[in-house]
Amino acid sequence: MTCTIGHMTTAAGAPPTHNKPADLALGFLTGGVIGASLTAFISGCVVGKTLLIVLGLALPTAYGLAFVLATQPRRAREAAVVPRTALALIEDREVSGSEASDVPVRFELSVVPDDAPAFRVELRQDVNRVELADYRPRGVVVVEYPPDRPWKGRLVRRPTPQWEERAAGALLDSVPGPVLKAEEQTGCAGGLLTLLGLLLGVAAVLVPFRADLFDSREDARATSEPAVSTTSFDITSTSSTSTSTTTVTSATGTVSLGPGRSMLGQGELRRAVESLTQGADKGQALTLVVQDRLLTVVFAPTGMPTPGFDPRSLPYDRIPGLVEKARSTPGVGAPRSWQLTADGVTGGLTLRITATGDRGSTTLEADGQGNVR
Amino acid sequence: MGWDEFLKLWCGVWGVAALVGYGRSLAGVTKAQRTVRLTGRIDRVREPRHGGSRDGGISVVVSYRDEATGQEVTVTNDGDRGEMITAAWEGREVGINHPRGRPHAYRFTNRPEEPGRGLGWPAFAVFLVYAGLVVLAAVDWAWPWALIGFAAPLAVVGVAHLPGAVRDKNARLRRLAAMDAVPGRVVAVLKDVSVDEDDGHTRTTITPVVSFTTRSGTAVTAHCTSHLADPARAYGRDVTVHHTLADPAEFTLDVEAESRSEGRELAYHVLAVVVLAATAAVGVALL
Repeated sequence: MTCTIGHMTTAAGAPPTHNKPADLALGFLTGGVIGASLTAFISGCVVGKTLLIVLGLALPTAYGLAFVLATQPRRAREAAVVPRTALALIEDREVSGSEASDVPVRFELSVVPDDAPAFRVELRQDVNRVELADYRPRGVVVVEYPPDRPWKGRLVRRPTPQWEERAAGALLDSVPGPVLKAEEQTGCAGGLLTLLGLLLGVAAVLVPFRADLFDSREDARATSEPAVSTTSFDITSTSSTSTSTTTVTSATGTVSLGPGRSMLGQGELRRAVESLTQGADKGQALTLVVQDRLLTVVFAPTGMPTPGFDPRSLPYDRIPGLVEKARSTPGVGAPRSWQLTADGVTGGLTLRITATGDRGSTTLEADGQGNVR
Repeated sequence: MGWDEFLKLWCGVWGVAALVGYGRSLAGVTKAQRTVRLTGRIDRVREPRHGGSRDGGISVVVSYRDEATGQEVTVTNDGDRGEMITAAWEGREVGINHPRGRPHAYRFTNRPEEPGRGLGWPAFAVFLVYAGLVVLAAVDWAWPWALIGFAAPLAVVGVAHLPGAVRDKNARLRRLAAMDAVPGRVVAVLKDVSVDEDDGHTRTTITPVVSFTTRSGTAVTAHCTSHLADPARAYGRDVTVHHTLADPAEFTLDVEAESRSEGRELAYHVLAVVVLAATAAVGVALL
């Protein structure tokens, strides 16, 4: 006994049902996930935050997994449907232009199953240019389709010999009636909703993590380009701009650190001082004042015999300890602020650390090596 | 969450996935274990149309006996039907696989296959766990552990497979030396043009189809993608086809080139092993 797969009897197909709100919601959700995960991943890489990177990877994975699990029953149901094979008459065809060897073609067919009512359907399928001649209007072809969704059928390019013979000798009549069509695309509204979801996804990451992202950007800028304003020495004129002030009698330099950083941080003070002393004419300083995020240096005028000190010779390693010692002095209370003043005008270098708390303030004095006097 | 925690989470997730995979395999419910594997026979070979597409391979009509019903079933390789059949002759045995209870979802393989256990994905999950552990070692201990962790096991695998590769090469050389030479003809040149939707560039794939008859009378039609000069203009050209007596699908137009190719493949294998071993050694030296 011989049989050919694909022509079993099942119920006739119903007209296509559209679940447009669900499709739109899915598009919106997909856009949101794409926007959020991409933003999280890129932001995480930029600011070096592992949580964001993991979020950027885990979110699409979890979404994809949930999508697969949610659609699994429907896909299993559709896969279990035995496709039906039938002869069909090509009522019309519309070939779209393409440089590829396979061109998209829209077919309108009258499908005549052996043991079910005939119907008209519209199918879209890529057809090789060489084979286009096989699919002329009024020609008989073999089609295969799921009985419950005939608009998802396809033309059979390589039918079995049995169906090949039947198609060669068949004379079919056109079938009147409505044309079953594939589900329409969600169109412009769907695209806009997806875009909106994408933007909201981006915002959903940027807003909660804005502090990390923008603080980090400020930090990065401060690291690469410390906010430096210098006062240059100019005998003849005095001028002021938004970034520098020029005075007649002295030259000063100021370094301001960004939020989240402190002059007590590892190497911060040394780097800040070195950023001000790179110029050959800024070797000696008269006074150096440091606060938590602010450094001010008053440089000795060039070419004048003025007492001063090399700001690079400060005991940087001992300064955090001195500040801590001043802040922890009994009677100061909860520490609020501190200030270090290095003064070389009187000859020897003197360090004064003033710590202020809620109950008072205290001052420590140390020599140029950081020894408390 | 730092990199440590992320990598531990990575290893944990993939470890669980691997365990689930192995558990499913033990329970006999993997996709491979639920696949019915049958042997079909090619009843008819349709000559390809000159200028057509290579998609779908050589058009064949195959019949097989359905174990469930005992019926003889006739099918074709129309649409997405698994492996592309690139060499066909009447009477050739091919594999037919389908999920249990769904014979309409059949797929072809070029040769009948033994039932699998579905351990591919669990093994891949284990590999991902291993990769995570190597990266964790590189982060926590020292970066040269990445070189050692990735290169050393691959080098060991390469060395372990080297004797087999030598045996395969020698066997292949023996088969090449014993090949029978018969006249053949290029009966079609298939042309597939695809267009990149982003930049508009076109990509053309030319696939000559050669037809030859063995001395035992088997008419073979096969895609022939190598050792044919100017394949785009090869339509109608007479060629000499060398094929093994046992399997006409194992054929070539240039025995010498195939022999040289076998030698090169073994050299690449050895080179890869050397490079991997050197990479691992560099990793050890840098520790």
